[in-house]
Amino acid sequence: MTIVAGKTGARRRLRPLPGKIWEHRADYAYVLPAIAVMLIVIAYPIYYTIELSFFNTPPGLQLRDKIFVGFGNYTAILTSPVFWKVTSNTLIWTLASTFISFVLGFACALALHREFVGRGVLRAILIIPWVISAVAASYIWKWIYHSDFGIIGAVLVGLGLADRPPNFIDSVSTVLPSLIVVNIWREFPFAMIMMMAGLQTVPEQLLRAAKVDGANAWQRFWHVTFPHLRNVSTVTILLLAVANFNSFIIPWIMTGGGPSNASHIWITHIYELAFGRQRWGVASAYSVLLFLILMTLGYFYVRALSGNERKDAGA
Amino acid sequence: MSTIAETARLGQARRRASIDGWRWGGRIFLIFMLLYTALPMIWMLLTSIKSGFAAMQFPPQWWPDQPTLASYQKLLDPQNSVGQDFLRFFWNSLFVSTATTILSVIVAVPAAYAFSRFTFPGRNFLFFAVLLRNMFPAVIFLVPLFILMRAIGLVNTHGSLILTYLTFGLPLAIWLLKGFYDNIPVQLEQAARIDGATRFQAFVLIVMPLSAPGIIATAIYSFIGAWNEYIYAYTFLSKNEQLTLPVGIQRFFSENTTDFPGLMAASFMMSVPVVVLFLVLQRYFVRALTEGAVKH
Repeated sequence: MTIVAGKTGARRRLRPLPGKIWEHRADYAYVLPAIAVMLIVIAYPIYYTIELSFFNTPPGLQLRDKIFVGFGNYTAILTSPVFWKVTSNTLIWTLASTFISFVLGFACALALHREFVGRGVLRAILIIPWVISAVAASYIWKWIYHSDFGIIGAVLVGLGLADRPPNFIDSVSTVLPSLIVVNIWREFPFAMIMMMAGLQTVPEQLLRAAKVDGANAWQRFWHVTFPHLRNVSTVTILLLAVANFNSFIIPWIMTGGGPSNASHIWITHIYELAFGRQRWGVASAYSVLLFLILMTLGYFYVRALSGNERKDAGA
Repeated sequence: MSTIAETARLGQARRRASIDGWRWGGRIFLIFMLLYTALPMIWMLLTSIKSGFAAMQFPPQWWPDQPTLASYQKLLDPQNSVGQDFLRFFWNSLFVSTATTILSVIVAVPAAYAFSRFTFPGRNFLFFAVLLRNMFPAVIFLVPLFILMRAIGLVNTHGSLILTYLTFGLPLAIWLLKGFYDNIPVQLEQAARIDGATRFQAFVLIVMPLSAPGIIATAIYSFIGAWNEYIYAYTFLSKNEQLTLPVGIQRFFSENTTDFPGLMAASFMMSVPVVVLFLVLQRYFVRALTEGAVKH
């Protein structure tokens, strides 16, 4: 009855809203469980975080004895030098991880698109880092980067490129790039899977036609394949960007944000403020700022997705 | 005449050369990526079969002189305390992940079906609200959720984790499944209903089997997400006997900071279930992404 039947929708739209809601009451039953879970676990926390961001909670104080400070937490954050350090770390971390993961993943998808012996096995191996736990990945790489017994250090010394094993994650200048390498290791397979799925939707005839017209491999890629993948690419990049912006486990387990904040990104910093130093108010204010940034990203995400929807409706 | 033929031949040769160039570039690139991906995992395996002493050497033993399975035996032996803890963590992880998976399929299937088939006021708003969940980091929700869980008495229970994990599996699950249902012709259901099936029967007998790959993909995604989750488990659980693997391993490591073979063995065993699950079912996953998410 309520199955979309195209044209009847126009007539229905004229009815007043309460009537419409009543008419579709049965449909809500299907989404109710999902919405209920979402409301409990999302809407309430968001409300509470915003409220808490206007209060001060000195350590040792119960949460209910909080002190109202207005925008004090926000001004404190924006004027602190740590904030700018952490923000620049977050930007470097997010942009580098997202861009490199996407390029590597896309390139793998392209290279794996053609049939060859062992393709399935290769694809499976390349996906494994994405499947295993980030905690396991962090420990594996921590061991690889180990300043005394790490394998990379040993190789560098063995090849005569270094006198003694370098300190990858204990040095301010190398820690962030070293962690980004780990993050990319875990993340490029996601871009690869998405782009592989996308590549399958590029019509073979178009590529063949372009070939007949004399387009070379690069031109075929740039003028046929790539435009076809614009939507998938946008969604993939946005999902990667959000995931990277929100990463926690790799920096937290590998360095805990150190040395001297060199690998602190927003999320680890917020976590430390809240659970380490018990400064719930400041941590909440940070969260609200983060929230605003993510809503902006979310706007583009929804736009990219509804771009798909529109095309769907037009087809 | 001859010059034209020659240019044509030259052009062809150049084209072939350039295609070969791309192909070789692709192969070399894949080999590089294979090494980048596999070497860390191989090093994990090699370290896990060394003794603690053999692992701590410089230059390292590339291949262990005396390979030993001692670390694995220790972790899997219910008689000693390390093995007891590890097996308990493993069991906890398995329980939480399985429960999350079953519940998220039960919740996501009807929701995705409704988003695909029905129009009701607020449909788009609700759909995007569900998707937006993935935009927000766990940390934002940690404090309030912790307080909420304490209020409803779920702190230090696996229920708190299952409820929380449900929500981050759901958005992608609903999105994937909706794509599937969009591609299943309504006429199939209508035909079944004309033949006397109720809407529910039509759904269970016609739509569910057709969307099986999507449901499997959804299940894999929830399971892996729950198995690997760390922050909530780290914050919500404090009793040792309730920890899940990622937190348990971290705690183990903070007590035995130099036992790298043990740590690598634990990391390996923690990875086995999800990797096996994924490898067995990966074609459903890729297919679900192609049909559900990408092919809009």
